[in-house]
Amino acid sequence: MQERTVTISNRLGLHARAAARLVRRASQFNSTVELLREDTGETADGKSILSVLLLAAARGTSLIIKTEGDDEERAVNALVELVEQKFEEELSDGVF
Amino acid sequence: MASSSVTRSRDVKLQGVPASPGIAVGRVLRLDERGRHQFYYIGVSAAQARMEVRRLREALQVARTQLQEIKVRLTEELGYEHSFILDAHLLMLEDKRLIEELEHEIRARRVNAEWAVRSVADSAINAYMQVNDLYLRERTSDLEDVATRLLTILSGHDKFDLSKLDQDVIIVAKNIWPSTVAELDFKHVLGFATNTGGLTSHSAIIARSLGIPAVVGLHDVTRLAKTGNTIVIDGSEGSVILRPTKSVLTAYLRKRKREADRRTRATADTAQAAETIDGARITLRANVELPTEIESLALFGAEGIGLYRSEFLFLNRLPELPGEDEQYEVYRKLAEATGEAGANIRVFDLGGDKLTLGGFEAEQNPALGLRAIRLSLKVEHMFRTQLRAILRANLHGHLRVVLPLISTITELRDAKRIIADVKQEMAEARIEHNAELPIGVMIEVPAAAMMADVFAREADFLSVGTNDLIQYMLAVDRANENVAHLYQPLHPAILRTIADLVRVAEAEQVPLELCGEMAAEPLQAIALIGLGIRILSLVPGSIPLVKNAIRSVELERVRSLMKEAMNLTSSAEVEELLASELPRQAPRFFQAWSSRA
Repeated sequence: MQERTVTISNRLGLHARAAARLVRRASQFNSTVELLREDTGETADGKSILSVLLLAAARGTSLIIKTEGDDEERAVNALVELVEQKFEEELSDGVF
Repeated sequence: MASSSVTRSRDVKLQGVPASPGIAVGRVLRLDERGRHQFYYIGVSAAQARMEVRRLREALQVARTQLQEIKVRLTEELGYEHSFILDAHLLMLEDKRLIEELEHEIRARRVNAEWAVRSVADSAINAYMQVNDLYLRERTSDLEDVATRLLTILSGHDKFDLSKLDQDVIIVAKNIWPSTVAELDFKHVLGFATNTGGLTSHSAIIARSLGIPAVVGLHDVTRLAKTGNTIVIDGSEGSVILRPTKSVLTAYLRKRKREADRRTRATADTAQAAETIDGARITLRANVELPTEIESLALFGAEGIGLYRSEFLFLNRLPELPGEDEQYEVYRKLAEATGEAGANIRVFDLGGDKLTLGGFEAEQNPALGLRAIRLSLKVEHMFRTQLRAILRANLHGHLRVVLPLISTITELRDAKRIIADVKQEMAEARIEHNAELPIGVMIEVPAAAMMADVFAREADFLSVGTNDLIQYMLAVDRANENVAHLYQPLHPAILRTIADLVRVAEAEQVPLELCGEMAAEPLQAIALIGLGIRILSLVPGSIPLVKNAIRSVELERVRSLMKEAMNLTSSAEVEELLASELPRQAPRFFQAWSSRA
């Protein structure tokens, strides 16, 4: 299992469009993806948009991303990168 | 009917924000009624629960198909930028967890599908409402939109199909959403009246691009108006009258007739040139926000695009950025549609009161903050991507770029250096493009107006943006109702500045264009040509009207009138002079025009 901690830093938090991006990215991997809110202990299935939305993670929330499966390392890296790039909403290289 | 006037409800007048000009009179269709029907809790047997699960799955499938169709239609009609939010809705309908939860609710609690949808959606919405974050709280509308769609399908109420309206209506709604727009049958929609929204709101932009009257920001029109009520919308004044009395109705019908006549007359004239009686040729270009407006250019007789507000590519999708290819497609359309006449693309005017970009903090004083060219220079990737898209699209026509909010020469030089660099990179990478791209400076900051000679020497053309120039020169926010009366386009300070700009542009021999709402108001447009402006850019729908005004005047007489005006002491005096003199000089147009109710 892989586990990494990230902080949601985009201004709007984990809103519908950001969540949609995260779910799309997570679904590209075989591994299971679990998100855990550090402050409340709530968990979400990273491949379910409703579940991710229900975390209602605003800006500043710390999330632990856990992946498990044959591509767990690639999965966790991709998701950490997505969060750190603020879901490619803000002007990261990944956008263009 | 001879019902007593005592029991009849009196007319209600509401004042909102004038979002799209014109008068509409018709029956209300209140949109919020759609889907807000009763549904009941029904306990079911295990066998029936299986049936309910099947109903649910069918409804999910119907909802997905509907959303896919809406997405296609919306992309075609309004461009990709408006359809983006539907992706999140589609993902929800495909969400395994959500589907499992719904099915579990039906099976475990033995309830009907409607009840399961409502209770699962409600608990999700409740969880959201507890978040201490306003933006996230507002996102419940996405969940509610999806739930409502499912409930509508389940209860068979989707018979009420907005795309097949059989009579003309005026839409009254809290807000007009992209998904609503995609479902509407526009042939039968006479106008919009909405609770929320300002000039740059979705509802307003959509109405303008469709050319139908709209008033937004009415606060509680949905509470006061009922489907079937008679309603009058005056999109020029920003007023709405509900259940008008007979005399009010007659007055508005007359006013509407006058406007329609004027428009017919004006549209009939589109083949004619915008030329004054004494033969001065004026160029009328279009201000464009949405891809759909491109089709109306020929209809209204626009000579190219004087201002394409490229930041509208972001609309409804912020904080996400449009990619290079997506931008290229839009710019190519602009290039192809305008041919020789060409199109000015104003690079992203983001920030401030416009649209905000993710990752930047809200500012104390956004009008004076990090916006427009300042933001493009700071976020160079974004600027470069836009330039690449423009340079590629330029192969298909004659594009020009306009740089907004330039206040120092350094900004112009930096922008030019980046443009040159992008061209070189593209040449090295052998990416096909047309490097012949004139660069214009938007004159909208007083400092730039005063230094116009310096800018004229280093730019290919100047474009006066009157909306912002007036705001900054007079230090007035026109959207602030407390000071809106001080927003005076005919303030002598503005007139003198424009006259100076004309002189500078002539001396330096650079083309000078002007865009802004002033250009769309006949009286002010005439004042502008009297000051020496020859190229005006305005909303396409107003071009025929302004052209008629131009064709009714003699430039020489208007010019001496403006000399007089510049020596007056206040906006009120200028207005009085124009309002009394123009009908005398050009009775054919101005007497009829100024007699509007």
